[in-house]
Amino acid sequence: MAYDTIVLGAGLAGMLAALGRSERGERVLVLAKGHGATHWAAGCIDLFGAATNPLAAVRDLAATQPTHPYALVGVTALEQGLARLRAACEAVGYPLVGSAERSLLLPTAVGALRPTSLVPATMVAGESRQLGDGRPTLIAGLRELRDFFPPLIAANLRAQGFTAEGVYLDLPPSTRHGAFSPMNFARLFEQPAFREQIGRQLADLVRRGGYARVGLPGCLGLHQATTVVRDLQTQSGALIFEIPTLPVSVPGARLFHALEQALVRAGGQMQIGAWVRRGEVQTEQLVAVYSEAAAREQRHTAQRWVLATGGIAGGGLRAEPTGEVRETALGLPVQVSAAQSAWLAQRFLADAGHPIFRAGVATDRDLRPLDAAGRVVYANVAVVGAAIAGFDPLREGCLEGVAVATGFAAGQH
Amino acid sequence: MDHRELALTQALDHCIKCNLCTSACPVVAVTDQFPGPKYVGPQAERFRRAGQPVPDASVDYCSGCRVCNQVCPTGVPIAELNARARGAMVAERGLPFRNWIIARADLVGGLSAGPQAPLVNLGLKMAPARWVIEQLLGIHHQAPLPMASTYRFRSWFKRHQAAQPATKGQVVYFHGCATNYYEPHVGQAAVAVLEHNGFEVILAEQNCCGLPLISNGDFKGATSAHAANVRKLLPYVRRGMPIVGTSTSCTLTLKEEAPEILGLHDEAVRAVAAGTYDIFEFLRQLAERGELKTDFRPMPRRLPYHPPCQYRAHRLGKPAMDVLALVPGLQLDESHADCCGIAGTYGLKREKYQIAQDVGQSLFEFVRRAGADLVLCDSETCRWQITHATGVPSQHPIEVLAAAYGLRR
Amino acid sequence: MRNIETEVLVIGGGATGTGCARDLALRGIRCVLVEKGDLTHGTTGRYHGLLHSGGRYVTKDPQSATECARENAILRRIMPHCLEDTAGFFVITPWDDPEYGDLFAANCLKTGVPAQELTLAEMLRREPALNPQISRVFEVQDGSADSFLATHATAQAAREYGAQILTYHNIIGLVREGDRVTGAVLEDLRSGERVQVRCAYVLNAAGAWAGKIAALAGLTVTVVPGKGTMVAMNHRMINTVVNRCKLPADGDILVPIHTVAVIGTTDVHVPDPDTFDITPEEIQLMLAEGEKLVPGFSQYRALRAWAGVRPLYKDVDGASDRDLPRTYKLLDHATRDGVQGMLSIVGGKWTTYRLMAEEAVNEVARYLGNTKPCRTAEEVLPVPVTAQRSPAPPLAGSAMRYPRHEPAAPDGPRLNGVRAPIGPQPIYGLDAGFYYLGQHLADVEREHAQDELICECELVTRERVLAALASGAANLDDIRRDVRMGMGPCQGGWCIYRTAALLFEQRVADGVSSANTNAALLHFLQERWKGLRPVLWGDQLRQARLDEQIYVGLLGVHRLQAIAEPGGGLVTDDSR
Repeated sequence: MAYDTIVLGAGLAGMLAALGRSERGERVLVLAKGHGATHWAAGCIDLFGAATNPLAAVRDLAATQPTHPYALVGVTALEQGLARLRAACEAVGYPLVGSAERSLLLPTAVGALRPTSLVPATMVAGESRQLGDGRPTLIAGLRELRDFFPPLIAANLRAQGFTAEGVYLDLPPSTRHGAFSPMNFARLFEQPAFREQIGRQLADLVRRGGYARVGLPGCLGLHQATTVVRDLQTQSGALIFEIPTLPVSVPGARLFHALEQALVRAGGQMQIGAWVRRGEVQTEQLVAVYSEAAAREQRHTAQRWVLATGGIAGGGLRAEPTGEVRETALGLPVQVSAAQSAWLAQRFLADAGHPIFRAGVATDRDLRPLDAAGRVVYANVAVVGAAIAGFDPLREGCLEGVAVATGFAAGQH
Repeated sequence: MDHRELALTQALDHCIKCNLCTSACPVVAVTDQFPGPKYVGPQAERFRRAGQPVPDASVDYCSGCRVCNQVCPTGVPIAELNARARGAMVAERGLPFRNWIIARADLVGGLSAGPQAPLVNLGLKMAPARWVIEQLLGIHHQAPLPMASTYRFRSWFKRHQAAQPATKGQVVYFHGCATNYYEPHVGQAAVAVLEHNGFEVILAEQNCCGLPLISNGDFKGATSAHAANVRKLLPYVRRGMPIVGTSTSCTLTLKEEAPEILGLHDEAVRAVAAGTYDIFEFLRQLAERGELKTDFRPMPRRLPYHPPCQYRAHRLGKPAMDVLALVPGLQLDESHADCCGIAGTYGLKREKYQIAQDVGQSLFEFVRRAGADLVLCDSETCRWQITHATGVPSQHPIEVLAAAYGLRR
Repeated sequence: MRNIETEVLVIGGGATGTGCARDLALRGIRCVLVEKGDLTHGTTGRYHGLLHSGGRYVTKDPQSATECARENAILRRIMPHCLEDTAGFFVITPWDDPEYGDLFAANCLKTGVPAQELTLAEMLRREPALNPQISRVFEVQDGSADSFLATHATAQAAREYGAQILTYHNIIGLVREGDRVTGAVLEDLRSGERVQVRCAYVLNAAGAWAGKIAALAGLTVTVVPGKGTMVAMNHRMINTVVNRCKLPADGDILVPIHTVAVIGTTDVHVPDPDTFDITPEEIQLMLAEGEKLVPGFSQYRALRAWAGVRPLYKDVDGASDRDLPRTYKLLDHATRDGVQGMLSIVGGKWTTYRLMAEEAVNEVARYLGNTKPCRTAEEVLPVPVTAQRSPAPPLAGSAMRYPRHEPAAPDGPRLNGVRAPIGPQPIYGLDAGFYYLGQHLADVEREHAQDELICECELVTRERVLAALASGAANLDDIRRDVRMGMGPCQGGWCIYRTAALLFEQRVADGVSSANTNAALLHFLQERWKGLRPVLWGDQLRQARLDEQIYVGLLGVHRLQAIAEPGGGLVTDDSR
């Protein structure tokens, strides 16, 4: 079946690109190997970690780092992309709050404070300015959830000057006696009886401890998180905020669902489990890709393409023992700034990160892939998100921001 | 063990423990019995060793729906690893009689279909009989057992005359057990559509594809079933004739499951795999080449459609939707549900019936909400499950396509 | 200042030191063992885990070979729960001298190392991943050993007989009164307290550090630290120990142990046992040698690389490291240096640790006038609480019961006079109480403990982590050694966080603060990183990036550096 645009990859960048093109009336297909990086992240939109005004910092990049993906697509793409993402989340009743011109600091599951910019309404009550209002905070969890430890979170918050205590709640009776993953807890919280039991325990704790707000693990519902949080607030008499937990991150999954819904409504198609292994080229245009399928490959054709397969973590790039770094779907040239011996810093937490994770595909301002000599490889391909060379989305704290900006840009022009 | 064999074991190395498979697993979402695809798959596999006692039985709660494979970003063949582990367990502990019997689709079907079918069906509808079956065999008394047909598809085909001479060559039709014994009308529709498009349909000798044997861990039985099919189908494949099937699970077994899970990789097996197509995959290829007839009658209907997980496991997208989109007026609403729960024989079993019903909940709600008098799904056991749970009659999409062509049912 | 009076001070908490402590205690001799880190923190905890059959030494060092064969049989009897009965192959690949096979066979016979030639078909049936171009294969009684567990079991036995074991105690000085060593001054690293030990005898079992210890008494012992680099692969592509049938060289052993296969090793002379790097060339060499045994080896996922330092004693100059004698030496400083009351044990290997301890303690006992016989070869070791488990599940059906050793084809070459090692017996020695690969999986399954897994890769339950904490683990690395936490594919991606939080919850009442916990967490992350760095490509690089996503992206642990300070009873390398 012929498509106008095929997007490879179903992360934030790919989904926003697909959404943009679908809304322009194109016939769009998303091909993705599987679920990916969105489900591994906090479910917040990090724009520029270190900056107090991320938008201003992004604007400055044009002068200081002209090949940074933010600089390539410009600040307008970021602003418009954020607006589109917010609308998609709003449409499923899961609003994002915050501003691109201000960093928020949210507590993590170890009690550190992490900068980000847009956060789901279910998390915002944990922002550091609120935590620091002098009124006590309760961190509450369930022992059955292996990835949330209220005593340590609270102790680390106290070590940073906040008033906080940690407590374990009793697991309310339910149909479940095991398999207490974050996702299954999200399902349980969508059962009114379950969250009512939790709410009752919280109300009691709040009454006795005078807590202004309660931090809970980030698994308060998958599709009805806003309702769950609202109900718990009403019942407990305190503000409720979620703290994201280890992968799979339920808030991350919610972002994916919001975009999936938007794409389906816009008429886009998705094929998850389609592993694109190679492309077919005619006169510097990509005309088809082949995805792995039972007993044979499947050929897909389109007029234009968006490569949104991610970096090393997403699987868009793969490093070989020989030191070669491959772009896995189309075999595009990969720009690696460091020799293999310098890929990795001595210290895991070295401030500058590890040079290998800045590898990627170099692009021009239209996000078209470039070869080592700076020539456009395929004129009908746009590269978006973490697959782009020359930045470290994790260490720069711009994973979602770059995905949104470049994904949105590739969905427009 | 050749390099392909090693590759399957080696593929567990790709697991980065990210839990995406477990969070997407429809079985984990509803039961505590199954520790999840990551746990029983690449994780437990590092602790298993041929020749040592099988330490874990919980892998048996894997339904084999392959949603894990679908969402895995690193390419771990989780469902295959699970199937292998179950095979090792059966090899060590033996196959319970219940699983032995329900895995033998051709035996059971052969005994049921034919003039005696009304009697068999009557028996299966009677509560006391089902109670006895549950007690004796462990097949849940409410499990959606199919109704046997009073005639076999193969007998119908022998009497069948093509309406028009073939212009495009021959295709071999792989009907599978369900079409032969329970739903000959699916095969009739397939034959009609293929003949309408100018093909001569050949009915090769064939037997059960072996999938129920594989999913019940009877690898010995499955290996001989697959070997027999390869022997019977190979001559046609050698002559360049495609094998086309209407059962998504039969075609997946011929294409991939039998070779991969049973470790059969000789040239004949590969040739049959490469020559096998699901019918809508085949028709979509015709459409892409502009060779599919499009003399459809307008069909102003809006129908719910569920792409079964066994079809998604072909990793071809949604060929039935792509082809039916060509029918004027016909609009399909895709379920976006992961699985109906039945997973072949899984949901028939006493201890798994409720799991299967719970897994299918969101699909059943979708079907009920659609309010249509018909739901479409490519896989037979899924159709039976959906109809059982919702009361909404179900059809194979090929039946709707035949109707769109105005072909006699 | 604390004061301790004892008869014998044992220095070093590795296999030899704990073996000495147990032997002394069993003979009723009071002793104190002191170790600057956790037990097995040195070389014992950093070796590939091979229980030698002796085959490796039959030509080069016949005495070692014979000792290994004897000790192998003893260890199987006294610590089956610490061993896996994998059996071993010596294979002649196309890169090896085919002539060596006959010499190997003859020397096995001479040295009493049980060996039997197998047909190649039998070899490939048992180990299908092995190189089909291998031309000859001999089966021996190799196994794999959990050296952490074995040392803990040995220490527990020593304690049960009255020995005192002081971990995280650094030796600051040895006390010499004239020509006699009479004690030591220690520092308790957890509390900073000084400890004065008075004793009649000092047993220096510090392995690669023995020279440094001897120097504290003004003695010169030249130990050549020989760095051995190893790489652990993500899963066991082979289940039998595989040795190249040739004179010992680099990268010629592949050991299946627990869930991994370890290839090793190199042998590089390093000046200091505390500072050495793993070079990319060493990794490439290991992978290349692995390819010769298992085609496609370098495409398997490497988990981690590490190095241990062999304690090779140098009493003759000029020999290359590999040719230094493997046999251990007892240096009685009275006869050697005219200093009474001290013995240094140098050289040796894990498989013969018990024998070394026996002979060393014989000397000490003679000095002290103790005449009780050694009983370490008879008494079975206890099972530490972190390793307790139920017996292996019963074998159902008969299909899987096949004899371990199918005799070579009648017309094939055989070793006359050498019996098949054990002969047909219940498979893999499960009935004899050996560890087997599926053990933890069986335990978790039986206990329905899937939800309780803290380290999912290595199937470590909350209960076992808590048991490790309760038995005195001082930091995350100790817990790792006790229960294998963080040693699987994700190298701690999920479980370092979980274990740190559990550690905090368990120890908060003892005064451990979140700042101590943060320091321990950050320290352990860096420890894992050291082992990962040399092998980061492919899947493991992807894993490392996901782990970075977790610790930097989700948890922001780097932001804890400001509120991280070592202390509070948690000892790390940083604070040592």
